[in-house]
Amino acid sequence: MICKHMLKTTTLILALFYSSLCIAQCDSINDSSSRHFNLNLSYNSSLIYPGISAGMEFPIYHVNVQVLKNQKIVKFYTRGKFITGTLNWYHHPDFHDNLYLTAEWLMRRTKYSGFITEFSAGPGFSRTFLGGTTYRVDDKGNVSVVKLAGYNYALITFGGGLGYDFSMKKHLPFSAIAKMNIISMFPYNSTIYFRPVLEIGIRYFPIISGIKTRKESVTLSEQK
Amino acid sequence: MKQILLIITILILYGCQKEKITFSSNAFEVFYVENAGASMRVLVQGNTSSKIFVLVIHGGPGVGSYFYDTKYIGKNLGDKCAMVYWDQRNAGASQGTSNGNELHLDQMSEDLKKVIEVLKYRYGQDMKLFLLGHSFGGLILADFITKPGYQDMINGLIYVDGSHNYPLNDTLTRQMLLTEGQYAVSQKKHVSEWQPIINYCSSHTGNFNLEESQQLEQYASDAENYIDSINHINIATQVFRYTIPDKYPLTAILSNLLYSEDSNFNKELAIANFSPGLKIVTIPALVLWGKYDFTCPFPLGEDFYNHISSIDKKIDVSSKSGHNMILQDKKFFCEEVAGFVLTH
Repeated sequence: MICKHMLKTTTLILALFYSSLCIAQCDSINDSSSRHFNLNLSYNSSLIYPGISAGMEFPIYHVNVQVLKNQKIVKFYTRGKFITGTLNWYHHPDFHDNLYLTAEWLMRRTKYSGFITEFSAGPGFSRTFLGGTTYRVDDKGNVSVVKLAGYNYALITFGGGLGYDFSMKKHLPFSAIAKMNIISMFPYNSTIYFRPVLEIGIRYFPIISGIKTRKESVTLSEQK
Repeated sequence: MKQILLIITILILYGCQKEKITFSSNAFEVFYVENAGASMRVLVQGNTSSKIFVLVIHGGPGVGSYFYDTKYIGKNLGDKCAMVYWDQRNAGASQGTSNGNELHLDQMSEDLKKVIEVLKYRYGQDMKLFLLGHSFGGLILADFITKPGYQDMINGLIYVDGSHNYPLNDTLTRQMLLTEGQYAVSQKKHVSEWQPIINYCSSHTGNFNLEESQQLEQYASDAENYIDSINHINIATQVFRYTIPDKYPLTAILSNLLYSEDSNFNKELAIANFSPGLKIVTIPALVLWGKYDFTCPFPLGEDFYNHISSIDKKIDVSSKSGHNMILQDKKFFCEEVAGFVLTH
């Protein structure tokens, strides 16, 4: 009974993720410059415990900002807002493995030099798998092993990161990013469990944005 | 992408929860016991071939067993027997969801019973099992062994700086703080530190409520710093030293500790008194105490020793430790425990 339930949950997480991948492949006829997915793949660790995260981001707002002074551009950067969907996993030996799916609101600012700053926050769902054989004892003292023992938690994540966008100057379709996230899972033993997670990874843009999309962007001026 | 997901899924399905039971002189095994909404971590470390197991019931509530598992104990006790470190519910690496309603003393005794049953299932009914209760763990131990028939599950008990009678505990803490404080002031030692403690104890004389009890506990902990004969330890150093090698889930330990400390459960503890029920205890017992333990003063150990009906019992005091003898006088602790478990 329990085992079936756990398998169902795992399958649901994977199914949700795979189905979003399928949606990604249906978008090619539309205006791809503004409606494309970026894919990301990261090493997702906290302290020494390894993990991985893979997902995609869907841009919902993109603007190139030029700051002018005496008709000359003195500052140029892009601002983007995205909705992201990510499947994450980390392994903390003897404690638990955590498979969690997050949907985040992400705000990113990319300088002309390619330097990125970003902030994200959003809800998620976590399924943990305990880090050892789990036993249950009934009232008669019979001992049995619980398969795939672990718990479901609601999750909220937020974080900020720095990175470099190779598309800005080198026209390469990816960026590298290092990001510190805090995940909070609840109700965890009737309280909240916080965990800092460091994400180091790359994002791949099937279509290069940045300077190449300048003609579609809004230009803001600021005269002093 | 799909391949990565497949690898993750396979790792989770096959990599985790692999049953591992070893009889060796240097075992290290972690398993969980699920009961009433909590999955409690159990670490078995040391000489499982000896078939002698010492189950540590940690203090707190909510502290977790990680801090008891030191290299010294591993070397000097783990070579002779297997040390079993159990994280109580809502403590250490134990996990669960909305299980706060199950956090009470009787439930913890039932948890302990299930942990013992799992240990016997894994390592055989012929094992020799000893319970070692420290501080708040002493309260769980007292609750457990005073339940009819429960002491038959174990071969002996080791009671270290424990508390089985909270009202008596508060009274003794106050008395000791006053006596030692007034003596220190007369000797002009740490006068400014002792004076507020003496003032507090002079104005709070008995029938302590939870707040007073917690304040006395805080002063008891502070007082150890003003006694020069104690072998002082730095818990922060311990944490730094062991966090990575022992894979501490630091934030989980902290969340559990904060929750347990503030839980209503503490109101139940404030009136817990097992002294009268201890007379049914007949199994061998070792009582170890720190001479300068203000948190659980030595007369509490004597109360335990005098109330149990065991014929085979021993009480001993470490002259250089306070409440944390396991760390403060580790040689004394290991020798006493080894001597006890190897002869019973």
